[in-house]
Amino acid sequence: MDFANLASQLNAGTILPEGIVILTLLGVLIVDLILGRTSSRWIGYLAIAGLLASIVALYFQWDATNPISFSGGFNGDDLSIVFRGIVALSAAVTILMSIRYVEQSGTALAEFIAILLTATLGGMFLSGASELVMIFISLETLSISSYLLTGYTKRDPRSNEAALKYLLIGASSTAVFLYGVSLLYGLSGGQTELSAIANGIATAHIGQSLGIVISLVFVIAGIGFKISAAPFHQWTPDVYEGAPTPVIAFLSVGSKAAGFALAIRLLTTVFPLVAEEWKFVFTALAVLSMVLGNVVALAQTSMKRMLAYSSIAQAGFVMIGLIADTEAGYASMIFYLLVYLFMNLCGFTCIILFSLRTGTDQIAEYSGLYQKDPLLTLGLSISLLSLGGIPPLAGFFGKIYLFWAGWQAGLYWLVLLGLVTSVVSIYYYIRVVKMMVVKEPQEMSDVVKNYPPVRWNLPGFRPLQVGLIVTLIATSIAGILSNPLFTLANNSVANTAILQATNVVSTQASAANVEHPERL
Amino acid sequence: MLSVLIWLPILAAAIIAVIPKNLPANTVRLSALYFAAVVLLWNIFILFKFDISNPGMQFQEYLPWNETLGLSYQLGVDGLSILMLVLNSLLTWIAIYSSSKETQRPRLFYSLILLVSGGVAGAFLAENLLLFFLFYELELIPFYLLISIWGGEKRAYAGIKFLIYTAVSGALILATFLGMVWLTGSTSFAFDAVSTQTLSSVLQIVLLSGIILGFGIKIPLVPFHTWLPDAYVEASAPIAILLGGVLAKLGTYGLLRFGMGMFPQAWSMFAPTLAIWGAVSAIYGAVVAIAQKDIKRMVAYSSIGHMGYILLAGAASNALALVGAVAQMFSHGLILAILFHLVGVVETKVGTRELDKLNGLMSPIRGLPLISALLVLSGMASAGIPGLTGFVAEFIVFQGSFTAFPLPTILCVVASGLTAVYFVILLNRTCFGRLDNLAYYPKVQWFEKTPALILAALIIFLGVQPTWLVRWSEPTTTAMVAAIPAVEKTVNSEIALKP
Repeated sequence: MDFANLASQLNAGTILPEGIVILTLLGVLIVDLILGRTSSRWIGYLAIAGLLASIVALYFQWDATNPISFSGGFNGDDLSIVFRGIVALSAAVTILMSIRYVEQSGTALAEFIAILLTATLGGMFLSGASELVMIFISLETLSISSYLLTGYTKRDPRSNEAALKYLLIGASSTAVFLYGVSLLYGLSGGQTELSAIANGIATAHIGQSLGIVISLVFVIAGIGFKISAAPFHQWTPDVYEGAPTPVIAFLSVGSKAAGFALAIRLLTTVFPLVAEEWKFVFTALAVLSMVLGNVVALAQTSMKRMLAYSSIAQAGFVMIGLIADTEAGYASMIFYLLVYLFMNLCGFTCIILFSLRTGTDQIAEYSGLYQKDPLLTLGLSISLLSLGGIPPLAGFFGKIYLFWAGWQAGLYWLVLLGLVTSVVSIYYYIRVVKMMVVKEPQEMSDVVKNYPPVRWNLPGFRPLQVGLIVTLIATSIAGILSNPLFTLANNSVANTAILQATNVVSTQASAANVEHPERL
Repeated sequence: MLSVLIWLPILAAAIIAVIPKNLPANTVRLSALYFAAVVLLWNIFILFKFDISNPGMQFQEYLPWNETLGLSYQLGVDGLSILMLVLNSLLTWIAIYSSSKETQRPRLFYSLILLVSGGVAGAFLAENLLLFFLFYELELIPFYLLISIWGGEKRAYAGIKFLIYTAVSGALILATFLGMVWLTGSTSFAFDAVSTQTLSSVLQIVLLSGIILGFGIKIPLVPFHTWLPDAYVEASAPIAILLGGVLAKLGTYGLLRFGMGMFPQAWSMFAPTLAIWGAVSAIYGAVVAIAQKDIKRMVAYSSIGHMGYILLAGAASNALALVGAVAQMFSHGLILAILFHLVGVVETKVGTRELDKLNGLMSPIRGLPLISALLVLSGMASAGIPGLTGFVAEFIVFQGSFTAFPLPTILCVVASGLTAVYFVILLNRTCFGRLDNLAYYPKVQWFEKTPALILAALIIFLGVQPTWLVRWSEPTTTAMVAAIPAVEKTVNSEIALKP
């Protein structure tokens, strides 16, 4: 094999964005080693610059003519580009939040950023991975970094407990996932590349055998853990409460987006033959997530716990797009995840700001906040209302598109359930707004009475402010000016080969089912 | 041209939200009043430019917005909506005018009112289902805040109740809209792109039920009305004016526009039920109002009763009844506004709303004679006394509906009589009788009387010159009715053919 052929098979240019992240990561580590803690003033900005450069590199890869690289190990198609962008962007905003938070907790910033960038790297590779080993390695890179981040404030017993819980559940669910993946390897006659597995299974004529179904269920257990879908969600509330808040911000957006990217790629490429089955399983997960997430969130008193259940519920909404399994369905998922990034990061920025100033994150302690900190009140109100789907904010358009795509695909009951649970969700989101805005000055909580004067020029507050304002503006207008985002989401689906191919396959499969009703 | 009605109030809301904090509340109020006046004048200008002979949409505006969702920024006004727009900007102005000069947190208060006003105008103007829904849901949070920040004792409870009911109503409406558009195979939510005629009658009935339930909560119709007494009573006077005067009209407007306008066939099947429902609402509202001990609650229940007439007229759906429905919507807006305003004045001056404690307000020197006189006038208008706008509207409704549904119409006439009963009780207990010797009420300032005087003048003028009430909506309603009978006949012939 000559060199030119090898280079074209590797096609290493596809992972240039990840390459930039790796360089940044190494840069952060080395600079920290050489300069020590003095570097922490600007090391965060270095990492953000690296992530933004990586997003720019992603932009130039849009519509690449030859997205397959590393002999089929990595697929840099437009779908992966969007998800890699979401992961990188969420990491960038997370760093803006964490500069002050980590400093205040008395731990080293550079180490934190290095682990966060590793998690980002794992998430980005996971979005494009199209080979079993590659999927597993990037999944583990993401997970292991997440365990470390969760337990990063190691003097806090709650953080330790959260890390342990997350590690135990995460490791076992990865093991289950690995078992499903190894079954796939066996069933397909020794293939590891996703499309080759699909072909292998198709040519082996095992059809909808038990083996396929078992591997499907095992794989879904791993995916469900990452996107915190309802029966696999138990880690979410405890980890969200215990882990450092910026980490939660990343887990709720970046890690979840990577999980959805994996779900789309794996399910549509490998399991077209059992499309009805995985849709059924995901319908059950979506119903459970929407009901449980929204109903249990009603009873929470801690802000972070409430957002944990809210993120379970939001995952349920996003799954409607996955179950629809149409171009509009996938596009609506992508659009929702994009706006979810803005809303959730805006909300978490406000929570971090509040807990930095007061040291608590109980919902009751927010009462009367509008008088002391109007910008924080505005930001948190807008982001929560947008999560609840109130027009004309970004979340409203996201939900409308999800419901619209679901309705087009004939998922009437799921959409109706989504509408009903959205009404429930408005109640607990507005409870926080009520605490902040409606309460009279004399009903102010003690914490708010002693609220320190708002100063943005303290070290590390400026990036928080920038992050807050950028995400706030994006949350407010990303709905009204949603056309570019819609075009982005639609194009990324339309230009992605795997989604086109599988649509054909799955329609053929369903046509086959119609022809042979006795098989059902 | 029409966009001004939406965006000027919203722009004004934004400006008021950021003006300096240290300005006195009254300055904020005056600037809000100024903006509302400009909007009102612009609205009156549009009213006079409105071509009465044209039954279709006028002053249309179109901007593509979101192709993927089928959402476009498409506005237009016709005979059904023009009066509602005027009512909206008039009552916004009056609500701001009648608000207290020392309102707490004035910047938030006035910007929310203006935001609501722009949103309501948008909902009346929208020619796209999704755009309508967007503006409809836009009222949710501002009204929730307006009730639960500046309300009475139980404002938190009333606010949440209002929020949940309205959110459920929104969910129902959205589900129906999605169903209407997707089941007909349309790709756009524009009004004229949606034609439900191709649907099977079962689907039409299901979708129409969604519309009726969704808007029935907002109107409100009888089993879904329980948010109304709480919200109206706990809201402060200006907010009650907006809630009852404008927001309830959004419900009836939605019912006529989407229920009758888009499902003529299923609507004619539902019509008898709706007529009885309307009559039951009217009787229920009146009977429950008789039992109330609180004047604001009485007025709130009177609103339920008066909304029943509109449902009856909508069910009858002939040209006369529909003109009556629009007239009743407008005149109910005026009458409810003046009643809530006067009740608000009585409450601030006397300090109570209890029927058992109020007495002798008619007394010329120590009482509130002018306010009492206006209260008598507006009570009469509400009860349907000739010479006032309430009578004109109700009479057209009854005359139009009688041919179609005689029994429900008679029930509504009875309800109208009961309305007179509880207003007489109200007036008797508040205005007449003797004042306590200890009663020293603050003087009513001129600016407090002005809104009531304007509204009273309008009520009398439209009562003696009703052409100005009905001329706007005649061609549109005639055209709407013209769409129905043809269908009705086919339904009848289908039914006739079946056995």
